Amino acid sequence: MTLGIVLLMLLSSFARAEWRFEGQTGLVYDSNLSNSDRSADVRDDWAWRSDVAAGNALQLTRDLRLNFGADLRGEVWDRFGAFNTIGPGASAGLRYRFGLGRQAPWILLENRFGYDRFQDTSQSGYDNVLNFQAGIALSDRIALEGGYAFESFVAPDDFYDRQVHRGNARILFDVTSSLQVSIGYIYREGDVISYAVPPRPDIARFSIEREDEDEFGQPLRTAYKLLGRTHALSFSVAYQLMKYASVQLSYEYAVTTHDPLQYENHIVEANIAVAY
Amino acid sequence: MRLSRGSLLLVILVFAGDLLAGSLEVIVKDDKGGPGSDAVAYAVGAASAAPKKHAVVDQRDKQFVPYVTAIQVGTAVSFPNSDNIRHHVYSFSPAKKFELPLYSGVPAQPVVFDKVGFVTLGCNIHDWMIAYVAVLPTPYFQVTRQDGRALLKDLPPGQYTVQVWHPGLKGQPEAFAQRVDVGGGTKSLQFTLPLKHDVRAKRAPGLTTGGYR
Repeated sequence: MTLGIVLLMLLSSFARAEWRFEGQTGLVYDSNLSNSDRSADVRDDWAWRSDVAAGNALQLTRDLRLNFGADLRGEVWDRFGAFNTIGPGASAGLRYRFGLGRQAPWILLENRFGYDRFQDTSQSGYDNVLNFQAGIALSDRIALEGGYAFESFVAPDDFYDRQVHRGNARILFDVTSSLQVSIGYIYREGDVISYAVPPRPDIARFSIEREDEDEFGQPLRTAYKLLGRTHALSFSVAYQLMKYASVQLSYEYAVTTHDPLQYENHIVEANIAVAY
Repeated sequence: MRLSRGSLLLVILVFAGDLLAGSLEVIVKDDKGGPGSDAVAYAVGAASAAPKKHAVVDQRDKQFVPYVTAIQVGTAVSFPNSDNIRHHVYSFSPAKKFELPLYSGVPAQPVVFDKVGFVTLGCNIHDWMIAYVAVLPTPYFQVTRQDGRALLKDLPPGQYTVQVWHPGLKGQPEAFAQRVDVGGGTKSLQFTLPLKHDVRAKRAPGLTTGGYR
């Protein structure tokens, strides 16, 4: 009986559900795709990256919303095709807002599960991200967001298994009705893969695993899996082009360390995003 | 049929009143000289009239329509939802606090705005939805068009205080009030208002994860 009532409520909610379609396409540049510490080993590249997603929002109560959806993500790299990837995924999340309106504080708990198929198939695997975020508006123009995420990547080739804890905080500022900027900080701790031309006994000493790889061509490199700590600063800008579309630019500077190894990434992204 | 002298005098007075009714053209500009659209121009004088009984703020394509509504205090406003999804209309404004929880179609009861002031409307589901209701102590008002102009018609002769309010106005409308004598014909008034940046929430995808999600 109770189950029947719950099913009826869910069916009723589905009937009033609100679909949302989103797409994003653009370029990304990584100054150190190889995550190398020595400049001679560093390989940079840029990629065309696109995401499409269809989602549904069910307002369960005044303050509680259930979101679920499916997406497809893809990356095509210019020089290092081994990193080309395409991956479907599905996500579900609950957002609770403590009161009415856009300035009310909120929390979001969501999970995305997907499969990433790389051109170098040994890297392919299942990706799961559990994400907790919270936000509060300080005024009608300034908002703070922060959260924690646990990322887990499981590949048939154990070498590419990765687990990462990530914390983030950022401030968002509505400069005008069309222009929004954000400044953020991200801390990541977990498995990273750094490529270097061997021999590198200094890295081998503390790496968890290593494999000889040819993703970056000649000379062959060794991929070292190690536990790294990353501090990253990010700056993003979104400009509304029209009702359903915006252009977004972002820059991230990240430093990853596992003493004595240290490498830097400069990541630049330019996207056009649409939502309907 | 012959009219008595008294009846004739009454007819003359009524028509004379109509003939003397005046109009005010209000031109609103922002402080950069651009047209001040979506401003509410209103004239407060001794004369008054009964409030219009009803006004409508619709919700279409996840937007309030119109963006700015002007009403006389005491007017009932209905909030039909013309979308095929649910909306949740609310206001925190001191002039009228209310909430119409998740609904489709037309709410059973309109909302009566019984206090003079300016009311900000929002939708709890779609954060970019925002609109304003100006609740005024007079029946003589208009919302300015795209060109920043509004015409207040059929004002009985007399002295009026004309004010202009805008959602982005820095300060209070009283600070920019102008007094004018209205007789027959049309008079013109110009207002230059200091306006804040428009920082309405965006419908296009932004950087935040908390808005629509």
